[in-house]
Amino acid sequence: MLGSLNTRVMLEYLPAIWQGFLSTLMLSAAGFAGALALGIVACALSIQPLRWLRLSATAYVDAIRATPLLAQLYFLYFGLPRLGVVLPEALIGVVALSLNSGAYVAEIIRSGILAISRGQVEAAISSGMTYLQRMRLIILPQALRPTISPLIGQAIVLVKDSSLLSLISVVELTRAGQMIAIDRFMPVEGLVATALAYLLLYYLLKLVAGAWSHQNRLPGPA
Amino acid sequence: MIEFTDVHKWFGSLHVLNDISLTVTKGEVVVVCGRSGSGKSTLIRCINGLEPFQKGRLVVDGFDLGSSSVRLRELRMEVGFVFQSFNLYPHKTALENVTIAPIHVRGLSKAEAEVRGRALLEKVGLGDRMQNYPHQLSGGQQQRVAIARSLCMQPKIMLFDEPTSALDPEMINEVLEVMVSLAREGMTMMVVTHEMGFARKVADRVIFMDRGAIVETADPETFFTAAKSERTRDFLSKVLHH
Ligand SMILES: Nc1ncnc2c1ncn2[C@@H]1O[C@H](COP(=O)(O)OP(=O)(O)OP(=O)(O)O)[C@@H](O)[C@H]1O
Ligand SMILES: [Mg+2]
Repeated sequence: MLGSLNTRVMLEYLPAIWQGFLSTLMLSAAGFAGALALGIVACALSIQPLRWLRLSATAYVDAIRATPLLAQLYFLYFGLPRLGVVLPEALIGVVALSLNSGAYVAEIIRSGILAISRGQVEAAISSGMTYLQRMRLIILPQALRPTISPLIGQAIVLVKDSSLLSLISVVELTRAGQMIAIDRFMPVEGLVATALAYLLLYYLLKLVAGAWSHQNRLPGPA
Repeated sequence: MIEFTDVHKWFGSLHVLNDISLTVTKGEVVVVCGRSGSGKSTLIRCINGLEPFQKGRLVVDGFDLGSSSVRLRELRMEVGFVFQSFNLYPHKTALENVTIAPIHVRGLSKAEAEVRGRALLEKVGLGDRMQNYPHQLSGGQQQRVAIARSLCMQPKIMLFDEPTSALDPEMINEVLEVMVSLAREGMTMMVVTHEMGFARKVADRVIFMDRGAIVETADPETFFTAAKSERTRDFLSKVLHH
């Protein structure tokens, strides 16, 4: 089947695929940046002493994890205008991705923090550090290191999830592939071109992950 | 320096500190011993506010720990705590472990803190290990770094919770030596330990705890030779002849 691929058409649509690629890259980057911010906040809320703030963080994480991203996306897409909030589709898409991924990011970071032994916290408390100093100097540097690889995993999931944005007519990679399918009645060519572009994105992320972990090996002698 | 008056503490229904009254004066070295679960750790953890208590009065260096407005952070700057499990920060070098609190809590400049930190690491015999990370050090070395880390805050009181229990036998002495010299320099110390040699050498008083209560307080000589309570003698016969 692959041998019978119409590569000429695929090449013809290369500029469109490239545009889609860049658009997916940008939407994902923005979505993930938002997810990190949200995730850090939700995680911080889930481990602080005030009960109702903890409960609201848990409610957020549960609500997101229990429902499909598509439902969340449509909820924002159709729900926001009813509240009088009219946003461009791409922005709605980014918000949905951030909200969705943020819940998973919160859980990843939380598990990193919970893995820090009580003794570390007690040593820091005993030396007179404030809560924020303990977090910044002792807990987070230790907690974040093992979360890097699950976070990259979450970023990879987010890139693929961003294909759902095609359903609210955001032009990105999946949408660009569909154009080949629709204009030329060549769905396989469209899908293969899209898949290759996603693969490229995946390897880019792996490259980043590799560089990061190389730079941040556990301290010690070479 | 440290004054317990009728202090009680419960963990749920478990009475872990039962009517503790105890005064430790400046420069005194007090050794605390007793069976596992008798409340030794809880006792010294109350002193720097790591554990709250429910009844009684505890004043440390002028700070009233029972009062709701007590400035615990300021108190903790004056009280060093050495843990059984060292609890060094694994992502920091020995020198960074020692200087981090002086820099961020006392507000020393990095240079000042390092001068102080280097001197202390030299003093505990680790002048050549300053740039090593904890996982590159033996247990005895880690515990000496932990002691230097507490001393670098220039505390008025040092608390030790079984500082040598997690160590291989051949490393116990190097840590005890540091503690002995600290005691001889006049540091106010409370030490939970079963190292009776240490108690003999430098303790001004030895305390025996049982089921949350202090059942014996005496100078080391009396404690080891003429303990009043049956339970203390029973405990001593087990610790001294095993
Ligand atoms: N956080 C806690 N919650 C409930 N019970 C606790 C807690 N910490 C300690 N205890 C209980 O309180 C009692 C006293 O504990 P503590 O750690 O002070 O004893 P210890 O004399 O230091 O014993 P060890 O020699 O084993 O260290 C024990 O029965 C212990 O099980
Ligand atoms: Mg104990």
